Amino acid sequence: MDEKKKKLLIADDEENILILYKLEFEEEGYEVLTAPSALEALKLIDSEKPDLLIMDICMPEMDGIEALGKILSKNNKLPVILNSAYSSYKDNFMSWCANAYVVKSSDLTELKETVTRVLKEAGRN
Amino acid sequence: MSELRHDPIQKRWVIIAPERGIRPSSYYQVQPGSAGEDEFCPFCEGNEDKTPPEILAYRESGMPENGRGWRVRVVPNKYPALRIEGSLDRKGVGYYDAMGGIGAHEVIIETPFHDEDMADMSVNNLARIFKAFKERMTDLSQDSRFRYVLGFKNYGKSAGSTLDHPHSQIIALPITPRNVAMELKSAKEHYQLKERCLFCDIFQYEIEAGERIIRVTEDFIGYTPYASRFPFEIWIAPRTHSHDFTLIQDKQMNSLAELLKEVLMRLRKALNNPPYNLIIHNSPNIKGSKKRSHYWETLEYDWHWHIELTPKIIPTAGFEWGTGFYINPVSPEEAAKYLREIEVY
Repeated sequence: MDEKKKKLLIADDEENILILYKLEFEEEGYEVLTAPSALEALKLIDSEKPDLLIMDICMPEMDGIEALGKILSKNNKLPVILNSAYSSYKDNFMSWCANAYVVKSSDLTELKETVTRVLKEAGRN
Repeated sequence: MSELRHDPIQKRWVIIAPERGIRPSSYYQVQPGSAGEDEFCPFCEGNEDKTPPEILAYRESGMPENGRGWRVRVVPNKYPALRIEGSLDRKGVGYYDAMGGIGAHEVIIETPFHDEDMADMSVNNLARIFKAFKERMTDLSQDSRFRYVLGFKNYGKSAGSTLDHPHSQIIALPITPRNVAMELKSAKEHYQLKERCLFCDIFQYEIEAGERIIRVTEDFIGYTPYASRFPFEIWIAPRTHSHDFTLIQDKQMNSLAELLKEVLMRLRKALNNPPYNLIIHNSPNIKGSKKRSHYWETLEYDWHWHIELTPKIIPTAGFEWGTGFYINPVSPEEAAKYLREIEVY
């Protein structure tokens, strides 16, 4: 069973979000890794080879948009979902490079459905 | 000493307040107008899968759609503010007015090359960009729900650009924007009074006066307006009366491209690659205004399309927001002289 588990990496500077997402997605049957910053996420992508990245945008040191550019320049195949409290970053054309953009909500239904869809589209389900 | 100047088109006052001892060259930008170093770019050739499928592309014959080999490419905005599907549903909400968020939002990717700014491009490619504007604005104007189709470019982060890769945008709106509506009103009033185009009158005067001219070609005028809102504000307009940009002919597009390239080269050298906004002020789309068709009966004669180019080198602050006035610390005469005298060839 564990062999089939898809590995999600969640990058967010809010600890409560990381705790909540880890609980929720583990309940959905995923293996969940967490990173408190974009820089940490970049390291984990190299070492842990996740199947999908859920990434916040507003983070100190390096924001999610900048991190997305760095990720794509090295690995154009890793599916990425941008997950921000703000929809305004959709105006940044770099956000087009993500497989999806989900605005944060206390109801995680949309995010969970998007993870399922994006993994399927990427042939990783 | 400062001077209040009236803009007869926007019916707005501007304070021209050159600071003593401050020369136009003082506005040389320390930071280039860059939107930042992106390591991956969705607009670069080879990354076509990162944009929505193209609406229009000029590419080598035989090359497949949504792949390599293009020169200019137009795609819909992946996250448009206004959507093309749906109905307008104009309605009153108590005292207020509302309508459905209908519109269109497209992106013109001007070149396959990430670092090829407009000022560096060949005249042919600049003309291709104008051709793309013309084709898309013509097509969107067939939709009678759209009252105005705006073409614009943000260059540099402080001008609103989020990506260095050269691009422009087109937004179709179900209303005529307030700024354009004011220009249309002024133009109409002038025509009713004098039976002449307000813009033609201004351009003719500027050519005669000469002090605000940057360059005049056979087909176009490039100048700094009398009541410029911003330092080095530049307008480019056809010398022969024309109310609709989408009627521009191929020869004129080349001529416009030549003048724009020269203006951008001068601006870049004068101010060290400043951020700017470039806006095509075109005629409104009157296909959807049948009930008000009489209102637009002189539009062809009273309106004159033009391009407004505004470098973003000073902030817009409380005074400007509070009054609608602008304080411009560089006189347009000084700016034009400085731009004229820059050697770019």
